[in-house]
Amino acid sequence: MSCKRYQDKLVDARAGGEGALVGELAAHLRACAECKEFYEAQLHLFGAIDLGVREMVNETVPASLLPGVRALVAEVVIPRRMWSFSWGFVSVAVAAALVISVGVLRWSPENTSKQRDRSPAVVQGVAGGTGVKPVPRQVITAAPKHRSTEARTEVVPRGVVKTPEVLVLAEERAAFARFVTDLPEERDVAVAFTRPATDATDEGVEIALLQIDELEVKPLESSNRE
Amino acid sequence: MRELVLIQPGRVLVGPSERESESCRAHREFEERLAECGPLVFRVAYGVLRNAADAEDVAQEALLKAYRNFGRLREPARFRGWLVRIAFRMALDRWRSAKRREKREMQRDLPEQIAAGPTVEELAVSSEFQARLERAMEELPEKFRLVLLLAAIQGYTLEEVSGMLGIPMGTVKSRLFFARKQLAEKLR
Repeated sequence: MSCKRYQDKLVDARAGGEGALVGELAAHLRACAECKEFYEAQLHLFGAIDLGVREMVNETVPASLLPGVRALVAEVVIPRRMWSFSWGFVSVAVAAALVISVGVLRWSPENTSKQRDRSPAVVQGVAGGTGVKPVPRQVITAAPKHRSTEARTEVVPRGVVKTPEVLVLAEERAAFARFVTDLPEERDVAVAFTRPATDATDEGVEIALLQIDELEVKPLESSNRE
Repeated sequence: MRELVLIQPGRVLVGPSERESESCRAHREFEERLAECGPLVFRVAYGVLRNAADAEDVAQEALLKAYRNFGRLREPARFRGWLVRIAFRMALDRWRSAKRREKREMQRDLPEQIAAGPTVEELAVSSEFQARLERAMEELPEKFRLVLLLAAIQGYTLEEVSGMLGIPMGTVKSRLFFARKQLAEKLR
């Protein structure tokens, strides 16, 4: 094996941090002065490298390092707690504001009147009466929305009218109120009105074809006389 | 009246006081790790930057980052490894940006420097070998460089470096071997 090969092996031995050389390498060093010199140079070089790297990293740690980290951590922790507190506060505030605004919108006079306008009025009259009875009072109210499930699920048997209800359009409400007020005087109408409707099924209605025997077309007369 | 609590499936239900004590426990654990890992992180950063103030800044930033991610870094070996890597990367980034800045300034101030020239004392004080070693270190691949620095830190054995970086012992030895060999080739 040539000296070059031995020198490569010697470098590898030093780079690998091996201890004392043994075997063929050690024997060659004893016999070859050039390789021995080379090996001693490598020993110095690797020693200097190790020392240099150690000096490079084993610097005295500054005393301010850990207090500095603690201060940074405290800066992070406090805003985080503040954020969690403020988020809780904000969410409660938003929820409260929503509840209040919904309440205000729902119960504002404008909305209530709108709701009344939109929904048909109900006239509650006397139920089941067949004779003429004076209607003690006529109440025209906006139909309330059913909120409870009980109200929605209440089953009224077919044909039994507990409280007769009349749906009145908004624009006809005033006239209908007058009509109801005058109802006791209109005896026949009152009887018909206060009697429960019969449970009659709808039957098909036949409409006879329109027949026009004679059609005379006249010119329109001018309304402006000149 | 029974109180109903909605929880996400798979998550442990903790009350506010439990959460508070949990955060206190985490803070205490972090404090313990800080005393152990602070010097290590500083030294890794110093090994790259060769400047105590910069290394301190980097170490503090890295430790703060570690605090923020402490929830998933509870395992000591994992924590240390993660911290060392993050500090090394941060230090490298800072070093690179400093180099770029230095290069720009050198180009700008070049005529003045030539005119002034280094004094005899300056030349005498500067350790040529150390400067060459630093340059040679900078040219090493990152993975070799990190192993070399960690292995050189006082009090850390190769086994510990292996555990810290989560790599086999043989890999640590081979990286160390190639790192030293490359340095020797550059310095010969």
